Amino acid sequence: MKEYDVLIIGAGVVGCAVARELSRYCLRIGVAEKELDVACGNSSRNTGMLHAGFTYKPGSLKAECAVEGNQEFDRVAEELNIPFKRTGKLVVGFTDHDRENILKFKAIGEQNGVRGMRMVTKEEMKEIDEHAGGEFAMYVPSSGILDPMQYTIALAENAAMNGAEFLLGRRVTGIRREGERYLAETDKETISSRWVINCAGMYAPEISEMLGYPKYPTKGFKGEYFVLDKKAGKFLGIPVYPAPNDKGGFMTHATPTVDGNVLVGPDSYITEGREDYAVTKEHMDGLIEDGKKMFDHMDRSYFIRNFAGIRWKRYDPETGEILDFLLEADDAHPCTVNLVGIESPGITCALPLARRAVKKLAEKEELKPREDFDPRRPGIRRFSEMTREERTEAVKADPDYGEIVCRCETVTRAEIRQAIHNPLGVCTVTGIKNRTRATMGRCQGGYCETRITRMIEEELGIAPEEVRYSKEGGYLFTGKVRDVE
Amino acid sequence: MRQIDTVIIGGGPAGLSAAVRLWEKGIRDILILEREHQLGGILRQCIHDGFGLTRFGETLSGPEYAQRFISQVEALGIPYVTDTTVIDITEDKKVTAASRNGMLEIQAKTVILTMGCRERTRGAISIPGERPAGVYTAGVAQSYINLQNKMVGREVVILGSGDIGMIMARRLTLEGAHVQAVFEVQPYASGLPRNILQCLDDYGIPLYLSHTVTEIRGKDRLESVVVSQVDDRLQPVKGTEKEYFCDTLILSVGLIPENELSLSAGVVLDERTKGAVVDEHHQTSVPGIFAAGNVLQVHDLVDFVSMEAEELADSVAAFLKEGELRSCSLAVKTDGNVTHTIPQRISGTKDFKLSLRVRRPMKDCRIRLLQGGQLVGERIMKKAIPAEMIQIPVKAAKLNEKEDLEVKVIC
Amino acid sequence: MLKNFTCIMCPRGCSITAEVDGTRMVSAEGNFCPKGLEYVYQELTNPMRNIASSVLVEGGELPLASVRLSSPIPKDRIFDVMEEIKKVKLKAPVAMGQTVISDVLGLGCDVIATKNVGRA
Repeated sequence: MKEYDVLIIGAGVVGCAVARELSRYCLRIGVAEKELDVACGNSSRNTGMLHAGFTYKPGSLKAECAVEGNQEFDRVAEELNIPFKRTGKLVVGFTDHDRENILKFKAIGEQNGVRGMRMVTKEEMKEIDEHAGGEFAMYVPSSGILDPMQYTIALAENAAMNGAEFLLGRRVTGIRREGERYLAETDKETISSRWVINCAGMYAPEISEMLGYPKYPTKGFKGEYFVLDKKAGKFLGIPVYPAPNDKGGFMTHATPTVDGNVLVGPDSYITEGREDYAVTKEHMDGLIEDGKKMFDHMDRSYFIRNFAGIRWKRYDPETGEILDFLLEADDAHPCTVNLVGIESPGITCALPLARRAVKKLAEKEELKPREDFDPRRPGIRRFSEMTREERTEAVKADPDYGEIVCRCETVTRAEIRQAIHNPLGVCTVTGIKNRTRATMGRCQGGYCETRITRMIEEELGIAPEEVRYSKEGGYLFTGKVRDVE
Repeated sequence: MRQIDTVIIGGGPAGLSAAVRLWEKGIRDILILEREHQLGGILRQCIHDGFGLTRFGETLSGPEYAQRFISQVEALGIPYVTDTTVIDITEDKKVTAASRNGMLEIQAKTVILTMGCRERTRGAISIPGERPAGVYTAGVAQSYINLQNKMVGREVVILGSGDIGMIMARRLTLEGAHVQAVFEVQPYASGLPRNILQCLDDYGIPLYLSHTVTEIRGKDRLESVVVSQVDDRLQPVKGTEKEYFCDTLILSVGLIPENELSLSAGVVLDERTKGAVVDEHHQTSVPGIFAAGNVLQVHDLVDFVSMEAEELADSVAAFLKEGELRSCSLAVKTDGNVTHTIPQRISGTKDFKLSLRVRRPMKDCRIRLLQGGQLVGERIMKKAIPAEMIQIPVKAAKLNEKEDLEVKVIC
Repeated sequence: MLKNFTCIMCPRGCSITAEVDGTRMVSAEGNFCPKGLEYVYQELTNPMRNIASSVLVEGGELPLASVRLSSPIPKDRIFDVMEEIKKVKLKAPVAMGQTVISDVLGLGCDVIATKNVGRA
């Protein structure tokens, strides 16, 4: 039986951040994840904004963590070697009512400690971004964009480098207490641990119940997105959002990604299905219509793909009121930390939440820092980001850097090979894609997918039938065309 | 930096045909750059027959057709490198490529763009639903089955009646898969009639026109697709949904010229073809950069790809000898019945072949080419279909040098 | 009775309408060339098709060599021939044009390789 000091349930951005922060100490850490990779749920299904924190209720955990997470992110991105741009954000308005709402949130932001927000005129807006529409705007310099998938992977890899173990493809089905330990049943094995930390995202209420806490009710707010070709990216330099509505929510907007694409979305509607990630014609049509209002290059010829994400918000069943993030640990449930209702801005808040979770452990036992803890994760060196001279050197040192596998994103064999041998042991096709950006361009793998699957087979010595697209049952091949005995 | 007269980007049928013809014209300072390990391009995986009837007068498989040109390239000693991917072309024709042997930089006098095309994907047509494994474009499935010896599925539905989709319907059936049906959103097939017969009808595979996939279901592997009828605006009709249980969905929903490199060189593209705007010399908006084959316009037959590239080679040879080509200031204009033409610009002083496609199937129509109201060329057709590329030769003797050329279809 | 045919002799794919009496063609129209008439005649009496597939290659730079038939076979024998093709295993190198199965099932045509496959 696998035995740990701390078992983290869920390898979304919060679970991986907790693993990374805990790996600073001399602890045996396990992370149980039902999927075959990290960030398969809503951690990767969002806009990739590093939020400033001007829409959250002052004094709330959300507000506190968002501002804290925002302010430290330059260092985090540097340590983990992930793409990040502090682009700033324009919240634009047209009417007096818009101005009122914007000013309301500016005041909230100031109360939360968001720095540098200022109202700008139409002329100043144009200087910030020539394509921005609207009559006036609030400029929020601290907002930024990042790739939430890369970020989660980096947190997990850094945790793994520092000793945390990732148990992928293990769905926790039950937890019982035996003496001083918890035994977590999974569909593959039983895992024993002194501590359990619930980071299960949309399934957090179920895990919460398994730990003896209430099964806090959550409501799913689903949103759909369009991903647009990089050709559309040149028309959008910084995120331009419409004025928030009276509740502080933003309508459909366009956001540039760190890779140069554009995301249009999300819209928002209620769903019951925990993993209802299907995109629908009705909402795609709606996004096309609404997206055109905010981004005049919302054109079919730029469409690359669609995806959906769900914000599972905790709410008060009596009043219907949406509640703050919950992070709790009490003596009635010894050696547990329970995180429920962590949704947007979960990416921004992940590390601050993780530190607060670690603190709950530190309150109960002395945590001994690891002397060899290394906060830096080198990551895969990308050919596409190298200079001419660096490329020449890279190919000389490793000829695989001269073999372009993905043409659209200019990803080389060396990068794919490193991704296949990633520290977490992920070997799905989407896992390789998310680590390298191969297949994410306009041809969506038409050229490189056949090469990537072959490399997975060769590098790992597995049969074609064993290759998985992204999920355990997601086989790509039913066998060989010809196989003569 | 290495200087070369002509760099050919892509060693598929267009690039190979252009190279051979250039060599025959006395142009010897050529280099073909091919990203694959072998020459031949997409033909390597097109193992079905039916190629070459126009160009060679006999019917060949794709690999055999390609081999005819590869053998010539080998025999003539035309320089080529494989496993080499061009990653940039500049407006002044500096070509940068990557290979395991290092980075390659060449200053070319002329560049021939023959990169071919790519397939439209699920994302480009926004099919609603989940994202399971088991959704393949036809070309990807073809590559797995014909080059890599991997079977992609057992119960198959095909969306789109493109030729590759229909050919894959037959291929999968021969290898023991069950192809349930082919669905086409348009009220007519997008592939050639002979493929409907010999790839679908022969194997009892139904083709449903005016139908499309409106939902993809399955979390891990594809479990089913929902298919709906569409109305004349191609919108799904509520109440006509039908679920087909399958583990594989093959998409054959169109091809798009692969012009990322052309854009980096500053080549102006045609919104209609997604390929370069070219003149009667196959020269793009950048002097000295030429394009032919599927990178220019998606062809129906490889024979025409070769022939187009051979005409291009004649122009490249002339450009190298004379330093420039006659400028083409006359536009080729079309009416609503024609999707596009190649070339888009002419001089009015040279014989050329006008390629076009009709927008919808038509019977007993006349395609008329006019200059200032004067008829300068005509093709009378009993039936014209969008699947077929129509080519009309135009004689310089009939043209003037002042007026645009108009293409009109009278039905 | 009138019957419609799509000629597959060339990519033109003529739609041919023929007046047919049992397996006899009385008249036909819509064909661009005489091959169309040949085709209709054959469809009425004994439809013939060519097929393409692959055979396994041992020790080659590719796992498969593509093959086709040297001439068409009766349509109803396609799957019988496929069974024969599935049994073949070649050793690299394979040369284009090489006979893979000669006179397959006594049908008077060969299965031939359509691709060069060198040694790995």
